[in-house]
Amino acid sequence: MATQQDVRLYAQAIQAQLSSIVTPVPVYANFNRNFATQPKFITWQLRDVHQPVYTGNVQSIKGIDTPVFQISVFTTEMADGFNIANTILQALHGYSGTFGNVTYNFKVSKADVVWLYHGYDNEIGLHNIFMDCTIYIPT
Amino acid sequence: MALPNKVLPGFSASLYCQASATPTPLTVANLSVYASVSALAVSANLLPVEAIPAFGQDDAMANFNVAGSRQSDKIPTQAAPTSMTITAAWNPSDANLLLMRGDAYNGTIDRTFIISATDGTNIVNYAFNGRVGQFTVDPNPTAEAKCTFTIHPRGNQYGWSNNA
Repeated sequence: MATQQDVRLYAQAIQAQLSSIVTPVPVYANFNRNFATQPKFITWQLRDVHQPVYTGNVQSIKGIDTPVFQISVFTTEMADGFNIANTILQALHGYSGTFGNVTYNFKVSKADVVWLYHGYDNEIGLHNIFMDCTIYIPT
Repeated sequence: MALPNKVLPGFSASLYCQASATPTPLTVANLSVYASVSALAVSANLLPVEAIPAFGQDDAMANFNVAGSRQSDKIPTQAAPTSMTITAAWNPSDANLLLMRGDAYNGTIDRTFIISATDGTNIVNYAFNGRVGQFTVDPNPTAEAKCTFTIHPRGNQYGWSNNA
């Protein structure tokens, strides 16, 4: 039997894990309303939460969850962006163990990070680097 | 008797195994008795199966040829129930998967298995006695680890039943 995992815990643990990796750089879910005054910050978004359903009429027969969260690094200086992105890569890619902090956590068998691309937004004057992190969660 | 009278999604089928490390399988007569079968088709006996493979009867026939005759003849014989190779999500502590692992190790344990399909109201059961002949674990890193086991039904030991 495999119960449905709690997406709220996912969000809390992702926030905690990213914060601990890049401290003191601020970490936000989705959006930073103070983007104009902060030279470095990170946002994240969770997606693709899905445990495959198995046959039969019992709801709790499912597979594992492999959610993905996107990490967006915003910096005014390109070098800062690459430094932060590298710190995240070094810490997360291939990571196995407790994910989150002492309050909000769960175990992951593996974290798999894909460094997607680097860009620049002329309107807000910030470099951005986007990464996807897939986590494999024993269920 | 109420057989489901709808086209069923494949997801409607569940697989149950009789409990106990030393089970006493149902008699051939009781494999077709709904009350006997449904007593075993309970959630505690559920196997966490990804999908139910094809089940039913194998094809079997005797082929006769007569010298000098242009046509031969094919005589259907009493066919064996189909062996099933089943894939389940692997939880090493799952009590029923541990039974399958034990049966595969032993090789001679007869156990009653039930495939039960429902439209949400009515239920049809296919019950059979069989032995487990394989147990492997596939730890594919991109999905849940899965264990695969094969059930070989005993000849003629099967039956169909449905709820009233």
